[in-house]
Amino acid sequence: MTGKLRAFLRLLAVQGAWSYERMLGVGVGFAATPILEDLKAADPSRYSEAVVRSAEYFNSHPYIAGLALGASVRAEYELVPGHQISRLRTALCGPLGSLGDRFFWAGVLPALIGVTIVGVALGHPIVATASFLLVYNGIRLVTSAWALRTGLASGIRVGTAIGASWLPAAADRAGLIAGGAIGMALAVAGGWLLEPFPLPEVLLALGVMLFGLLGAWRFGSRLPAVRFALLTLSLAAIWAWRVG
Amino acid sequence: MSSLHGVSLAFLLAWGTAVGVDLVSWPQAMISRPLIAGAVTAALMGDLEGGLRVALVMELFALDVLPVGASRYPDYGPATVGAVVLAAGQPWEAALGPAVLLGLLAAVLGGWSLQWIREDNARSIQRNAAGLAAGETRTIARLQYAGLARDVLRSFGLTAVSLAAAAALGARMPMLPSLRIVTAVAIGAGLAAAAGGALRSAGRGARMRWLAAGAGFGLLITLVR
Repeated sequence: MTGKLRAFLRLLAVQGAWSYERMLGVGVGFAATPILEDLKAADPSRYSEAVVRSAEYFNSHPYIAGLALGASVRAEYELVPGHQISRLRTALCGPLGSLGDRFFWAGVLPALIGVTIVGVALGHPIVATASFLLVYNGIRLVTSAWALRTGLASGIRVGTAIGASWLPAAADRAGLIAGGAIGMALAVAGGWLLEPFPLPEVLLALGVMLFGLLGAWRFGSRLPAVRFALLTLSLAAIWAWRVG
Repeated sequence: MSSLHGVSLAFLLAWGTAVGVDLVSWPQAMISRPLIAGAVTAALMGDLEGGLRVALVMELFALDVLPVGASRYPDYGPATVGAVVLAAGQPWEAALGPAVLLGLLAAVLGGWSLQWIREDNARSIQRNAAGLAAGETRTIARLQYAGLARDVLRSFGLTAVSLAAAAALGARMPMLPSLRIVTAVAIGAGLAAAAGGALRSAGRGARMRWLAAGAGFGLLITLVR
């Protein structure tokens, strides 16, 4: 197995030792080791320094951490001064976090989940869930492989490479599609779940939904959706228990 | 609740553990999404009809969450496994509400457990600071594997607690007709969570128009099907 492939596979567990101290740092260091191997024979002291740097504090979206990993490894081989490499890693944290969150967490994931919900509600649960896993993981693996390749090819010019790549525009488009898919999923899921209930219970569900939205609007992060749900569900359960 | 036998319990524990580890540590392939975790559990329990609905309501709550770095968020995967097990084999119109209540409590517990292992990982890093400063690759590998092992234990424990609670509740809970009200409340709260998250992400720009258009199209599908 080549060093690049081992690094790629290790990146799939980049959050394995996530901590508040180094965030993804240890995971990135673990993934960097196989592609730093050649440096070990050529320049052992530089290799040790590179390993130390690779496991320092780092944070980004996990799927595209390969951009920073590849860029810093390339810079190590090009003997770029260590402080510049550390600065590059720090500078990449914010943009890679934001870009990955926009593309995956706020774009691809809700878009595909929305379509999957519609598929399940329309009576095709196996096709819908299997397609979700195939498509999502296909996009994720291709993007992660691209990230590592681009990082390794660009070195300290990785910022320019990211800016000129397909990713920023794709993040914007994925967000729009996600909006449409979630809107559609909400209506279809609501219809499917409430179908067998008589009108008073449907109105109760819609009332709870409206009340929840008003609560979120009025109290913001002080009343998260889960807290609201636990409160209303507990009250409803106590009532149901008493009524029998 | 259908009774849990040795083999199915072992499968459910293994599945819940895999689902829990998938959330953050490895491989983030999204089997931890409630819809996926719940669909497989429902198939294992032989009740797709009710299990999918419980999974879908749990998914509505998960849609409100942006799993960003250091933020604390519930772990819905193993929680959904327990929730689906509780509802399996029961009329879902009554069982869904209590199942979602159990699932949400387990998910919140899962969120705390994530904090605990993150703090434990940090302590482990501090203990190995000398090895990290010396650039020892063995130390990095040890920290990585220890972190993964902690998450496997966490996920196993969370799944076990979730299944034990489902078994205990399932044995005692009579399926009262009034529980339909709890189900209606669960569906409403789930829709509020997903809609709130969608509105927050949409802002006031083009995404809001897409959201509104999608909702309109969804209503049309619901009316004509």
